[in-house]
Parts: sequence; structure tokens; C-alpha cells
Amino acid sequence: MEEISHLQSAQSKAIKSGDDEELAEISLRPLDLSDIDDFMVWASDEKVARFCTWDPYTSKEEGMNFIKNVVIPHPWFRAICLNNRPIGSISVLAFSGTNRCRGELGYALGSKYWGKGIATQAVKLVVGSIFREWPHLERLEALVVVENIGSQRVLEKAGFTREGVLRKYVVLKGRTRDIVMFSLLSTDQVSISTTSLHL
Amino acid sequence: METMEESNLHLAQPESIEGSKDKDFSKISLRPLDLSDIDHFMVWVSDEKVSRFCIWDPYTDKEEGINFIKNVVRRHPWYRAICLNNRPIGSISVTPNSGKYRCKGELGYALGSKYWGKGIMTRAVKLVAGSIFTEWPHLERLDALVDVENVGSQRVLEKAGFTREGVLSKYIVLKGRTRDMVMFSLLSTDHQT
Repeated sequence: MEEISHLQSAQSKAIKSGDDEELAEISLRPLDLSDIDDFMVWASDEKVARFCTWDPYTSKEEGMNFIKNVVIPHPWFRAICLNNRPIGSISVLAFSGTNRCRGELGYALGSKYWGKGIATQAVKLVVGSIFREWPHLERLEALVVVENIGSQRVLEKAGFTREGVLRKYVVLKGRTRDIVMFSLLSTDQVSISTTSLHL
Repeated sequence: METMEESNLHLAQPESIEGSKDKDFSKISLRPLDLSDIDHFMVWVSDEKVSRFCIWDPYTDKEEGINFIKNVVRRHPWYRAICLNNRPIGSISVTPNSGKYRCKGELGYALGSKYWGKGIMTRAVKLVAGSIFTEWPHLERLDALVDVENVGSQRVLEKAGFTREGVLSKYIVLKGRTRDMVMFSLLSTDHQT
């Protein structure tokens, strides 16, 4: 696990594509207890929790425990921020031993921000920095439930390769699910170009 | 990991190998492996052809083999010797997972190289497939990861009725190099021949 001794912030700016639209800034930064109220917005949203292993959070206590016990000790966990306010999270899990060459990507975004390219941008920001931060990493992978089309689109747009469907791979909320395996290699070419975000 | 009571001897019925008229490969069976099998065990674990696509290096002394049987085999939730006429010539195992991955188990196997190409491993895999879902009712998926270059092992799984799900690029580190692996799976609901 790595010490997060300095702010690992990655930023990107949106291109203003119309007269009416605002410039929006998507950035990544560590999440802390002071972010609890923003965190609770997406953590309590059942649309967000639908394809996750967790159930929507019902108390601030739950949220604080999660930030204390999971987020803070996590090897790589970031808030996805819109104009510096957390609207979601993104993380990379590290493995050890024979599995040390790969990391697993996970993310969640408040549902009112879906469909605007934000998650795709956040994923691209991670891709642009994780292989430098973890030089031993050769593969970043993500497992998406087959019904979660939105998340599959995010990864495709972010340049991930769809490797196949792994049947009855994981138990989610009491049911065995088929998942789609996606991967991005450190050797894959990915452009971290700015995208216009219509907000 | 679950531990299986060793008092339940899980014997799979011997099956005859079709088309083997001149050599008697008629009795392939599975049984637990123990220290008394050490000399047979050393034959395949010291074979570099066998260890080529495995994470382990060929064993060089009996002590290594004894330690492996004591520390790994005996504690393993499902580990069997593949026997020909009741003599161990290889091994096969199913490793369970926990938490959200408890529905799947990973298959692994090794066979002495002089027994390759005779359908023995396919037979052993079919024996496992025929019993593991009954022994572990919570298990819905049996999967196996095979190095892309290990064509022989891919053939075994195809012949045993597994589905090839895809290639996972740079998935694991084997003997210092990152390898692409083919993922195969068999579901408890798949029809078996």
C-alpha cells in the first residue's frame, strides 16, 4: 500500500462548445471525512448501488465508517470532483504475488451526473496516471455485470478492450451474475484528450 | 477456505479409456494423495515439461515433495491423485473462493509427461466435473486459466466440455514474465458428456 503523502490531483478542463454552456472541470483528489455529505449523495442512491456489492447507505455513520475503514487505508481511492465538489468515486485495487501485474478498476457516480461523459473522463484520468504511479502494473481491468450497459460504454469509450463474458462469476446481492471482463494494458495507446462536457 | 473431512474418501469410479487396445490405460481413478505416494509424486513434480506452464519450478529433492504434501496437499479442500491402476501419475485439484466469489472454484492439474496425449487428463477432468457440483452444492462455476501457449491443456478442457470465454492479456506473472491466459469455464448447469 502506498502512502498518500501529497495530493495526487489530476485535472482536465472541458472545452466550451456553445454559448450557453459552462466550463466544467472534472478532477480527482483524495476523499476525506470532511466530504461525508457529498459522499452520502451517491452512496445512498439505489440507482448507483444497483450493480454494486453494497446496498444503499442509510446513515451518515455508515458513510463515516466506510471512509475511515476503507477509503483512507485504500491503496488508490479518489473522489471524482466537479468544480472541486465530490460527485462520485474511482479506485484501483492492487493484487499481490502472481497477480501483482494487474489492478482492478472500480467507480461510482451520482446518478444525476450520468450520461455526460464524466465517468469516461474520470477513467481516462486514472489511466493517464496509474501506470506511472505503479510501474509494476501492466494491466488495469474492470468487471461489469452484463446488464450494466452504461458502465460498459464508459470503458469502451475510455479505450478498454472487451475480453469476454465470464459466466456466473460473482455473487451480487444474493444472485450469481455473468460479468464482462474489460482490460487496458500499460502498452495500449490511450489519448487523454479533453472532451466537451454538456452540463 | 473450506476443509473437507478426510474421512470421506472421495473415490471416483474407474473408467475405461476407449481405443486403448495395446496399452492398458483402462483404470483411471482419483483418490487422496499422501506421504506414502512420495516416490510417485516426485516423478511428475521433478519433470520440467510438467512444470513449464506452472508457477512452480521442478522439485529437486524428496524433502520439497514431503513438505508440499504435508503443508499444501493435506490442508487442501479438494486435492486428488490421478491414478492409473491405482498408481499416482498426476494430480488434480479444485480451489474454492470466498465472499462474492464463492460461486466459483478453480481447477488445476498436472500429469507425468510420459502419459500425455492419451486422453488421461481429459478423463480425470470429466471425473471431477461429474462429482464436484454434487459435493459442493453452492458451486455454480468451475473455471481454469491456461497459458495461451499451453495448447495441450486447452485441448483437454475443450474435450472435457468447458467453454472458452476469452483471452485475458497480461493476467498473471509466471516465472518472472507476464502471461496471457485463456479462461475456460464449466457451469453446474452445463450438460456433460
